[in-house]
Amino acid sequence: MFPQFGATADTLSKASTIMFRIGTDAHLYDDPEDVNIAPLLDSKFDSEKCEALKRLLALIAQGFDVSNFFPQVVKNVASHSLEVKKLVYLYLLHYAQKRPNEALLSINSFQKDLGDTNPLVRAWALRTMAGIRLHAIAPLVLVAVGKCARDPSVYVRKCAASALPKLHDLRLEEHSSTIEEIVGTLLTDNSPAVVGATAAAFSSVCPNNYSLIGKNYKRLCTILPDVEEWGQIVLIGILLRYVIARHGLVKQSMMFHLHSKEHSSSENDDSDADSKFGKEGIDPIKKYDSELASMIYRCYIEGPDDYLSRSSYSNKVFLTFSGAKFTSSKNNEDVKILLQCTSPLFWSNNSAVVLAAAGVHWIMAPKENIERIVKPLLFLLRSSRNSNYVVLCNIQVFAKAMPYLFASHFENFFILSTDSYQTKALKLEILCTISTDSSIASILKEFQDYIRDPDRRFAADTVAAIGLCALQLPKMASTCLEGLLALTRQDSFTSDAWASEEEAGVLVQAIMSIKMIVKQDPPSHEKVIVQLVRNLDSIKVPAARAIIIWMLGEYSKVGEIIPKMLITVLKYIAWSFTSESSETKLQTLNTVAKVLSNSKGGDLETLTKIGCYVLELAECDMNYVVRGRGCFFRKLLSSHLGSKKLENEVATSSQNEGLLNVLAEHMFHEQATQQSPVPVNYRVYLPGSLSQIVLHAAPGYEPLPKPCTILDDADFEAEVPEQDGSDSFTGSLDEESGSYNGSDNSVASGGNTDNGETGSSSEDENIQDPLIQISDENHLRPAGSADLEELMSRRDLETWLDDQPSLPNSSIPEQSKVPRSARISIKDIGKRVIPKTYELLDPANGNGMKVDYTFSSEVSTISPHVITIQASFENCSSETISNIVLKHEDFTTKPSDSSESSSQDDVPALIPMEEITSLEPGQATRETIHVRFHHHLLPLKLVIYFNGKSHPVKLRPDIGYFVKPLPMDVDAFKDKESHLPGMFECTRSCIFKGHVDYLNKEKGNHTFAKDKFLVVCESIALTMLSNANIFLVSVDMPIAAKHDDASGLCLRFSSEILSNSAPCLITITAEGICSEPLNVVVKVNCEETVFGLNLLNRIVNSLS
Amino acid sequence: MLQCIFLLSDSGEVMLEKQLTGNRVDRSICVWFWDQLLSHGDSFKQQPVIASPTHYLFQVVREGITFLACTQVEMPPLMAIEFLCRVADVLSDYLEGLNEDVIKDNFIIVYELLDEMMDNGHPLTTEPNILREMIAPPNIVSKMLSVVTGNSSNVSETLPGATSSCVPWRTTDIKYANNEVYVDLVEEMDAIINRDGILVKCEVFGEVQVNSHITGVPDLALSFVNPSVLDDVRFHPCVRYRPWESYQILSFVPPDGQFKLMSYRVRKLKSIPLYVKPQITSDGGSSRISVMVGIRNDPGKAIDSISVQFQLPSCVSSTDLTANHGVVNVLSNKTCIWSIDRIPKDRAPLLSGTLLLENGLDRLHVFPTFQVGFRVQGVALSGLQIDKLELKVIPNRLYKGFRALTRGGQYEVRS
Repeated sequence: MFPQFGATADTLSKASTIMFRIGTDAHLYDDPEDVNIAPLLDSKFDSEKCEALKRLLALIAQGFDVSNFFPQVVKNVASHSLEVKKLVYLYLLHYAQKRPNEALLSINSFQKDLGDTNPLVRAWALRTMAGIRLHAIAPLVLVAVGKCARDPSVYVRKCAASALPKLHDLRLEEHSSTIEEIVGTLLTDNSPAVVGATAAAFSSVCPNNYSLIGKNYKRLCTILPDVEEWGQIVLIGILLRYVIARHGLVKQSMMFHLHSKEHSSSENDDSDADSKFGKEGIDPIKKYDSELASMIYRCYIEGPDDYLSRSSYSNKVFLTFSGAKFTSSKNNEDVKILLQCTSPLFWSNNSAVVLAAAGVHWIMAPKENIERIVKPLLFLLRSSRNSNYVVLCNIQVFAKAMPYLFASHFENFFILSTDSYQTKALKLEILCTISTDSSIASILKEFQDYIRDPDRRFAADTVAAIGLCALQLPKMASTCLEGLLALTRQDSFTSDAWASEEEAGVLVQAIMSIKMIVKQDPPSHEKVIVQLVRNLDSIKVPAARAIIIWMLGEYSKVGEIIPKMLITVLKYIAWSFTSESSETKLQTLNTVAKVLSNSKGGDLETLTKIGCYVLELAECDMNYVVRGRGCFFRKLLSSHLGSKKLENEVATSSQNEGLLNVLAEHMFHEQATQQSPVPVNYRVYLPGSLSQIVLHAAPGYEPLPKPCTILDDADFEAEVPEQDGSDSFTGSLDEESGSYNGSDNSVASGGNTDNGETGSSSEDENIQDPLIQISDENHLRPAGSADLEELMSRRDLETWLDDQPSLPNSSIPEQSKVPRSARISIKDIGKRVIPKTYELLDPANGNGMKVDYTFSSEVSTISPHVITIQASFENCSSETISNIVLKHEDFTTKPSDSSESSSQDDVPALIPMEEITSLEPGQATRETIHVRFHHHLLPLKLVIYFNGKSHPVKLRPDIGYFVKPLPMDVDAFKDKESHLPGMFECTRSCIFKGHVDYLNKEKGNHTFAKDKFLVVCESIALTMLSNANIFLVSVDMPIAAKHDDASGLCLRFSSEILSNSAPCLITITAEGICSEPLNVVVKVNCEETVFGLNLLNRIVNSLS
Repeated sequence: MLQCIFLLSDSGEVMLEKQLTGNRVDRSICVWFWDQLLSHGDSFKQQPVIASPTHYLFQVVREGITFLACTQVEMPPLMAIEFLCRVADVLSDYLEGLNEDVIKDNFIIVYELLDEMMDNGHPLTTEPNILREMIAPPNIVSKMLSVVTGNSSNVSETLPGATSSCVPWRTTDIKYANNEVYVDLVEEMDAIINRDGILVKCEVFGEVQVNSHITGVPDLALSFVNPSVLDDVRFHPCVRYRPWESYQILSFVPPDGQFKLMSYRVRKLKSIPLYVKPQITSDGGSSRISVMVGIRNDPGKAIDSISVQFQLPSCVSSTDLTANHGVVNVLSNKTCIWSIDRIPKDRAPLLSGTLLLENGLDRLHVFPTFQVGFRVQGVALSGLQIDKLELKVIPNRLYKGFRALTRGGQYEVRS
């Protein structure tokens, strides 16, 4: 109406924004490069320097690389203005690692600042100096940290503590004891603030140095409530680990209780308190799944992967925890004081502190006191919205182990409309777990509300949850069934326009839940089936119809009513057969077959007619699966049907009936697996850990230490048995593996036989497919048990391989420290490595003599510096060739009679081979020749003498065989790699397409469809191993990688140079789509740069 | 150990990156993150912990700004989330609100703060009072000064005294001519009323907010008339645990200025101040909706800022809603907000109208949940009452003030 007013308002608001922005750094961010920065940096005015630095920071913030200003910026580090300093520090920290040499220029200024009277200046200097992380200045930093650790200012000491991890990151082995010493000093500091920062340093520098904690344990506990919140989080964890490692688990805690339930003998002789407690305890214990709970505890101690791999040989390992490994919270002062000092932390404002404290009580507190953790945890749900989801994830585990803890607090898990879908799903699951007879009524009432929630996915989950509740509390089954039935009758589902897929999902879920409940006790729920069948006409969702029809077949003989109505219903489904979806058609066929095979008596004739009718329809169906199944049933049932028609021929039918029974059984199974009950979450990690949220062991995740692993002198003997236990385990594996070494078996079968006790068919499948250990939840979901076996065999395999590290053909690294990428193990790749064959002499030039050679991966017996070559001599002529010998071109200058003498020269030398006296026509022989190349890459000129003539030949050295495999694990690899940075590292990229052909071939036959990823890995590994004598350390693929995206795939190989045993590390990183040529980056880390470069070129040539 | 923090604007632009450790994180991770966000929508937005192909990400979203932190190693996820929340709190306190412009305009301060708050991936100084002394917040004076003189430093030249004292949240040398301390009880009432109109759950989540301006280092003790109603509590670090354990007395040395002394929860309440009665009937492709709001239990003080908000089901194609009192707004995302403010004396507010369903749908089978907002000044609906506030050393001219306020929290009525 009044556009001019609108315009004015608009300009006004703009004007006010400008006013508001005056005096801020807005113009610097918006247009950082509108002036020339370089002269400003050299200005003598602090204000101009500041402006220039701010502009640089703005560029950094926007993601530009401004490291070219580094030299000019570094100069300003000497400025007296604190603001300039601060800005320079910010810049320095961002780029120091990129420009290490220039960064060194700033050191003097830091040194000076460290002596400043202003603690702030000292602290900043220390922080920045440690933060630039240069190896060269590490000793200086160490001295500075040592000095600052005794600084009068608390703030400076705190900064000294946090500088320690930075030093530790540089991996200075020679200084590690000094660093730990400083940690020890700072732990005794009077100021809680310093102790907090030191705790953080401790956990990253020397998390297992329990002696440091032991010395200060009591004081650390008492100071804990005063430590700042962030330090508390870390310190709680450290103290808990210490107590467990020192004293073991608490006898009265849940952990012991679960364990003693399994081996109930030990509890009888315990003190009064325990036995009394035992009586009280029985009641609630009934209510939870003790197996699950005990698994949770074992996961805490052993790490889930350990536990899963061990469960096969019963509880042998767990037995070792008994007796001596437990302590009592009543008598043990250390445990008592820990629990005492962590309990006020439940009132902390920081949700992470509360959860950490709850974790301690969960593991250590006597069972009757565990309830203390409930209220604080529930309070967290409301008071910190952002932590909501994480807290719920942890509560879920607690609730699964001890549902009664949360049973009376069920209201806290009622769903709010503002909750995210993940939160809602978690709450539903918890509600299911903790439902009891007294609360189920209210919970079901809530569920009824949720079914009408606009979020239909959530509604479907609710329906599934109702089913689970009914399973858990059989008393409620009929109530639940009624509700579910009512749901299926709702007109939203039955009306012709069942609106959306989601709506259909709710209905299908409802019928699945009904099916699940009915399965528990079919006879008593007969009426439910009848009602469902009656509704069949109005239910249009194919999946739902299919399930109902399946139920009809499955329970066709249950009860009284169903057999009576069977014929009518069958007629109906036969009538509607043509209009069904193929899913429903298949189930109709199954049902008809089941009914036919089971039926006896008067209705047979009608049934057979219906059967024939349906089968005929099926055989004319458009869908080939339906057709196929129709034909199959016709064949199977033909004699059956026939026998009914011609009443007398009973002879042949018995066999077929047996077949049919098998068939029916089979069909039943097919359905049963289709809907697996809620997958049991086998991965449990420590409460409050990241791993528990992402459900895989994050890098750096450590389970609790083994109980009582640190001891004072008196207890020393007590430790021995446990050690024995674990030793015997690996020992037995050794024997096993030894036997395999002799036979020519594949590596994989070693893993299989180790698992002899569990050996099952699924394991055989494991051998066919390479094992992938992917620590991603999606991939792990499918089935708990198969998953378990897979892990087990893999684990055993690993152990086996670890004992045989010299095998170059296969590698499985030990437990990944870096599972942000999943580790793939490629088995029996060694068998498929075909070394390349080169031609030395071809028969046309050599009078019918053919000589080929291949480089062998064996290490020569003569000297480790000598390379072994397999040469094959073949006589292709028609005459006998005699006196064949391979020599140097002019052996007058190169006598080379003994390998020792020739080693003085750095000239390539051939160690003389024995003469082959004669070779018949067509005969071939293999000879091993040894050559000392001394890193000469030029072809070696040799002469072959035979029949009195000489033939000059050239032996081309292959740098890929100037190295030998250096077995190591990934950690060692990374460690070595970090020692070979900068100039020792060279990279090249190329295009790899070796796998494309294979994949294209694969496209043809679907039966052997292999994972593309594996094909890629294998072909890269194979190419590498066939071209160089190296050791495959690991194959990593990124987690959450997309199906077809090979980006991030990383293969590591290690080797050492024959001549000087310098390690030579090769890393290959791929990028691109699996099915297309990949962009591969090859990186070689080697002390001998020239050699490294040559090797790199060789690898790139062989890959591309 | 966090490796990197990114600040993203609501359009996915990386406004700031701060590398914290030696392992630098490339900002391409933000591209990945934003792609996922766009493809997964809201459910991704609400996921606090995300496992990306290369890093674990933690996200906290405040007023359109996404705080994204990355790590590659195991660490307590709550630590990261709490820290990000703390960063968001501090920034919004410094910059008086959070939005894209304000962060870009003050990026230097944001950098300085981040650098001070975290060292090598572990939180260093997060106490707002100390931060304020180390890095001066932008204010009108400093802005004007910088316009006039061209530059002014916001970095403190000296270390705040509090860093070395045993009460790190308070500087020691504070002087006021008038000593004041205000204690506010701010409560939020959560309630769920199910479809049958039955009160399923009702509780109060409250905070004791203190604003203190007292000279020197005062030692305060706050006690309640009825501490037994408190179901659970959480404290500011300044509260001493011992006196609370034994006598339920809050004994503390307060930080200067406004702070949250304690939060508490009171469960299993029986009375709610307002009733909301929604009724939805369907008939032949359209639904009639009527929502009545009225006072159920008079809290004794006026209830204002009453509003009813609900999300229309997605199958509703158009609406025609009118109210006999207040204003009805239907937003583009099908959120309907009915602002009532105060309930008039003469009639009960009534929202009524029709919802036209999408073609083919005969009747409504999903029902919205109504979120109710309100405010009652002067009353703490939990019934918690402050007894007295005592000072160990009473400064001259001390003024003590107490207030209470209750708001609607997660107050939901299902239909």
